[in-house]
Amino acid sequence: MPTRVGFAPWFAIVAFRSAIVAFRSAKVACAGTRYFRKSNVDSGSRYFRGAKGDYGNVDSGSRYFRGAKGDYGNVDPGTRYFRGAKGDYGNVDSGSRYFRGAKGDYGKANWGRASLWLAFGLALIGLLAGRVQAQTADELEWFERRVRPLLVQHCYECHSAQTDEPSGGLRLDSREALLAGGELGAAVVPGQPDSSLLIRAIGYADTNLQMPPDGKLPTKDRELLVEWVRRGAPFPAVESSQEAKPAGPRKLTADDLRRGKQFWSLRPLVPTQPASAGADGWSRRRIDLFLAAALRREGLQPSMVADRRTLIRRATFDLLGLPPSQEEVEAFVGDPSPDAYERLIDRLLASPHHGERWGRHWLDVARYTDVTASWLENTGQAWLYRDWVIRALNQDLPYDQFVQRQLAADLMDSSAPADHAALGFLGLSPTYWKELRLAPDVIKTVVAEEWEERIDAVGRSFLGLTLACARCHDHKFDPISMQDYYALAGVFASTRLADQPLIPGGEAERVRDARRQVATLDERIKQVTSERKQADAERQAALDQQLAELDRQRRQLISATPHYDLPWAHGVDEASLLVLPDGPDQTRLEYQPGVAQNVALQIRGNPASPGPLVARRYPAVLSRGEPEPFRAGSGRRELAEAIFEQSPALAARVIVNRVWTWHFGRGLVTTPSDFGAQGARPSHPELLDDLAERFIGQGWSLKWLHREIMLSSAYQQSSADDPRRSAVDPENRWLWRMNRRRLELEPWRDAILAACGQLDGRMGGPADELDGSAARRTVYARVHRHELHPLLQLYDFPPPAAHSPARSATTTPLQQLFVLNSPFFRQRSRSLAAAILAEQDGLERRVERLHERLFQRSPIAAELELAREFLSADDGTLAEAERWTDYVQVLLGSNEMMFVD
Amino acid sequence: MTDKLRPAEPASTSTSNSASEMLDRRTLIGRLGGGLGALGLAQLLAAPASAGAADAASATGGTHFRPRARRVIQLFMNGGPYQGDLFDPKPLLEKYAGQRPESVELRTERKTAGLLPSPFKFQPGGQSGVPISELLPRLSGCADELCVLRSVHTDNPNHGPALLLMNNGTIVPTRPSMGSWFLYGLGSENDSLPGYVVLCPGRPVRFSILWTSAFLPGQHQGTYINHASIDPRKMIPYLSSDELPASRQRRQLELMRALNERHLAERGGDAALESRLTAMETAFRMQTEASEAFDLNRETARSRADYGTGHFANGCLLARRLVERGVRFVQVYYGDGQPWDTHNNHDETVRRLARDIDQPIAALLRDLRARGLLDETLVVWGGEFGRTPTSENGNGRDHNHYGFTMWLAGGGVRGGMTYGETDDFGFQAIQDKVHIHDLHATLLHLLGLDHERLTYRYAGRDYRLTDVAGRVIRPIVG
Repeated sequence: MPTRVGFAPWFAIVAFRSAIVAFRSAKVACAGTRYFRKSNVDSGSRYFRGAKGDYGNVDSGSRYFRGAKGDYGNVDPGTRYFRGAKGDYGNVDSGSRYFRGAKGDYGKANWGRASLWLAFGLALIGLLAGRVQAQTADELEWFERRVRPLLVQHCYECHSAQTDEPSGGLRLDSREALLAGGELGAAVVPGQPDSSLLIRAIGYADTNLQMPPDGKLPTKDRELLVEWVRRGAPFPAVESSQEAKPAGPRKLTADDLRRGKQFWSLRPLVPTQPASAGADGWSRRRIDLFLAAALRREGLQPSMVADRRTLIRRATFDLLGLPPSQEEVEAFVGDPSPDAYERLIDRLLASPHHGERWGRHWLDVARYTDVTASWLENTGQAWLYRDWVIRALNQDLPYDQFVQRQLAADLMDSSAPADHAALGFLGLSPTYWKELRLAPDVIKTVVAEEWEERIDAVGRSFLGLTLACARCHDHKFDPISMQDYYALAGVFASTRLADQPLIPGGEAERVRDARRQVATLDERIKQVTSERKQADAERQAALDQQLAELDRQRRQLISATPHYDLPWAHGVDEASLLVLPDGPDQTRLEYQPGVAQNVALQIRGNPASPGPLVARRYPAVLSRGEPEPFRAGSGRRELAEAIFEQSPALAARVIVNRVWTWHFGRGLVTTPSDFGAQGARPSHPELLDDLAERFIGQGWSLKWLHREIMLSSAYQQSSADDPRRSAVDPENRWLWRMNRRRLELEPWRDAILAACGQLDGRMGGPADELDGSAARRTVYARVHRHELHPLLQLYDFPPPAAHSPARSATTTPLQQLFVLNSPFFRQRSRSLAAAILAEQDGLERRVERLHERLFQRSPIAAELELAREFLSADDGTLAEAERWTDYVQVLLGSNEMMFVD
Repeated sequence: MTDKLRPAEPASTSTSNSASEMLDRRTLIGRLGGGLGALGLAQLLAAPASAGAADAASATGGTHFRPRARRVIQLFMNGGPYQGDLFDPKPLLEKYAGQRPESVELRTERKTAGLLPSPFKFQPGGQSGVPISELLPRLSGCADELCVLRSVHTDNPNHGPALLLMNNGTIVPTRPSMGSWFLYGLGSENDSLPGYVVLCPGRPVRFSILWTSAFLPGQHQGTYINHASIDPRKMIPYLSSDELPASRQRRQLELMRALNERHLAERGGDAALESRLTAMETAFRMQTEASEAFDLNRETARSRADYGTGHFANGCLLARRLVERGVRFVQVYYGDGQPWDTHNNHDETVRRLARDIDQPIAALLRDLRARGLLDETLVVWGGEFGRTPTSENGNGRDHNHYGFTMWLAGGGVRGGMTYGETDDFGFQAIQDKVHIHDLHATLLHLLGLDHERLTYRYAGRDYRLTDVAGRVIRPIVG
């Protein structure tokens, strides 16, 4: 009797388990309504019945907006479940749709009990079925000969162990898997073809559930499958328990977590002594000792130190995003003292322009925009955040503080009201329109998109982890679970975008009051004004008097309230957003100030199929022990602190690598925002850890880090190519030379303005339009999240709708048209030409002066010759100024202007 | 046994190319950026690394399989046209006028009343007899070219999200547009023109996010051109100099080349420097080429007359001129804002709109056919969604995402057919449903790309245009 398979007891177990689930759910009171519905008899049977028109009843709202993670599954669930879409997190559990059923289900009570009965019922059926349907050897042979080949040919590509993630969680390669089914439920009910999903799918009658996707099977094949199910779906037992395991996305285990904590980026910093003790004839700083060891190992020699002109140009662009002046160059080149370079770096680090350059790097990370969605009520001024970042970097605010204030300045004792501007990191987050005429499930999806946006920004910016990947399933590669994800989602579900005053609470309260009163007065003034229009002369006079009085009160109120007109910053405060039904089909949003909430895990990322509530906390793998739930309000402050208290090693590695990347053009880890399993491994792990350790030891001082990096021999190398060495290491992974850098749009444009003597050095304040006469630094150009200025788009400005780990540097002909034909280029060329003509006499002297201004060097003979040729070939029609303008334009457009050695 | 590291001078810099020969292809692409505009990623990656290693992709010219279409023109009726007036006749509406049978109890974006029959008659068109509305008499003559998809559906009845889904494959404004994916997969065929051009005589809702390259490299973004004026110099920013004659610019360019080459030689080769040098030359050529390509005045009076007048006619004609020159993807938005969004005075407005598109589209299809371009140019028509068979405000129609019509022509699809069905009233797709993901999968398929394999790694995930969904609609592939 070896053929008899104990599926029936197994089936009973499944059913029993669902009974337990149902029972458990029943205890969760009304929060679990949805949950119960999943196992409800009535609605469940709708699914199996396959009544036509079901789809019309289904709350189609849930299909709108199904967003990011492929919730599209809802749209056409049937086809997707049975098809092999990779990743299939999208295959949303359409259970929720099928089982949710028609309107009115909401009102039903006792779901828990109903599902309990259902579950026992199923268990009973399972037992009975087991008794009736024994599997004979003949049947199994028949299965192997006739049925299995069909399954293999048409189904296994997507529904078997041969695919990492079977579509819709369904596998058809074992009897257990068939019975366990996928997200829609059991694929086969033995003996009952009419109730079997598989049969329904191959029947193609249900437009939403048609398998195989390429086309309906021939009639005889379909009949065969029907017959197979009718005979009780005989299927030989499998030996491997692995194979029998119902498929589904990977689940994180305690083992994964333990191993995860040992992953290179997540383990504690490992202090290492550099292999080389020094005195190698090259190394200047500790950094170099690590690099030298690697170079030696790879059989490479470093490059000579760059000449001083190159060095000052490199360092100045790097730290300030501006070219050095000719005087600065000459002073540095002529400075004989051994610490001249060190003093140069210190001078640059002390410049207020440093914050403008490095602030822009950070704004890429923070997805900064000057313009937020039009429907927001915020009146805040985005630039306050930009200026805060610039100021913080100039002041060398310790990085841990820098980050913590951006997440929770309003909740930290250590931050002043002026620091509330830091909250712009969250306060300027992208928001998505919530159409209240749509159903709550739709809006919940939109809200869930916003959580994901915040989690993604926080995860990648500060932790170098793609936490958002765990929204629909446990992270596929990193030890981040869905629980971790929803634990963070709760923080953002308890946080509201809100303007923040930059003055102490008491004063702010007075301003708030005054603004309210002014608003009331304005309302009153409007009324009176409109009344006046209809009034007769006498009444008008009286109303005029009234108006004058109102206006006086208004002015008085404003002048008596200090800081009344002081702009407020885009920030956040503590409030929970509730998405509530408003009538049968519509939605109401409610903010509960000062209230924090945990959110329910969303199965497969679908808000319509909530799982258990998840307490707000820090991700488990990043926590030192068991993660403690957040207790203070939303938990924003605790989150901000946890980054540095629970996972300082990771936080330090990430920022050290970012700074390194911005200095060298290539990171020690080449994926600056992915330190997970999918990211790159560090080229110099000991160096990274050593630098991170010392960085923390230096109080998270970014200026210390800049200095340490820039004083290294590695940084000071020449960038000249060398065919022999680049044959060994073409990507310069081992830093045998300095990388040549193409300037981003901002320093390039700034340098052109500076060279022409037209750069307007005023710092801060509202953004400029990047047109016409704008002459301030490009960091002050308006950034519009969804309508980026064409010039910014043209030159690889990162789309500010999401975190940007690094800029790309594309080279297109359209960019060069800007050089050839834009008024910007032509006008700057003209004014620089005019200045040179006025300033100097003689072609040679003028060309020299131009080279000094633009490239901080003298022209060589060949360049002088080219200039002479260009400028003197004259048919007599072109004015001198025009010829020089043409010439200057060429210099401004040349590669030397855009690249830094 | 030296512990000393001796900083070395660069060896001779004359053998400049050996370094770049060592680069792996990915690095090469990264370094060269748009300098290799003519090549798509797929082609570069597929080019055999060693002789004899020709893989499947290189055998088919850099695509995953044999491309049926090489270029795409999308005629975008922004606002959402009502299918029941144009391509999906529903005679039963007459019978149930003013009523709301159960199957129309779907939630629309706004409240709608009873069924509102379309006053327009349908005729079988061409040999195939595909029914086409009397509103489109000339297009009806092209019926045999059309593959009418009557069962398209999308996820959202709001313009913004629906536009995003149609263009970017998702409602979240952070993903690359379909055209960027095309370009990423295939590259451009013309170095002197942008590979992806968006024409609109104004601004479609959501604007530039609809053609963003998002996390794909920047050269794959669409180039937006407002063709409200048909002067090429007004259409393309910085296309030509206002003051410099070509001869002077040529001299500038020669000087620039000389300086850049000297600069490069001194540094011993650098792909980034070289690629900018080349791009500068291309830009110079582009001034002529693009001026010519975008100049409708170079068309014969006959062809101008064929297309007719108006922005949309100009857009169609420009599209033909561009695909003729190898531009990979041209989108023509019907107009500023959302002209097809007929919540009021529907019939009257549609009469005008249909008149406006009929002649240009018919002319475009005929013209492409006559020039031998239609077989490899895929033309796509449709809006971001359709409209309701029920009335809104008495004489208007609301958004309908449950079922609407789009059509394809040329580029490897079977002409003279309809595919899929909506219900009796044309409210929702019920048979052979085509989700936008399916449409995208099919477009990619026709271009020779497998939508599941055209991926880009970003933020820890391999992204696709079709996310985790989409299936190719095989019955319509010719």
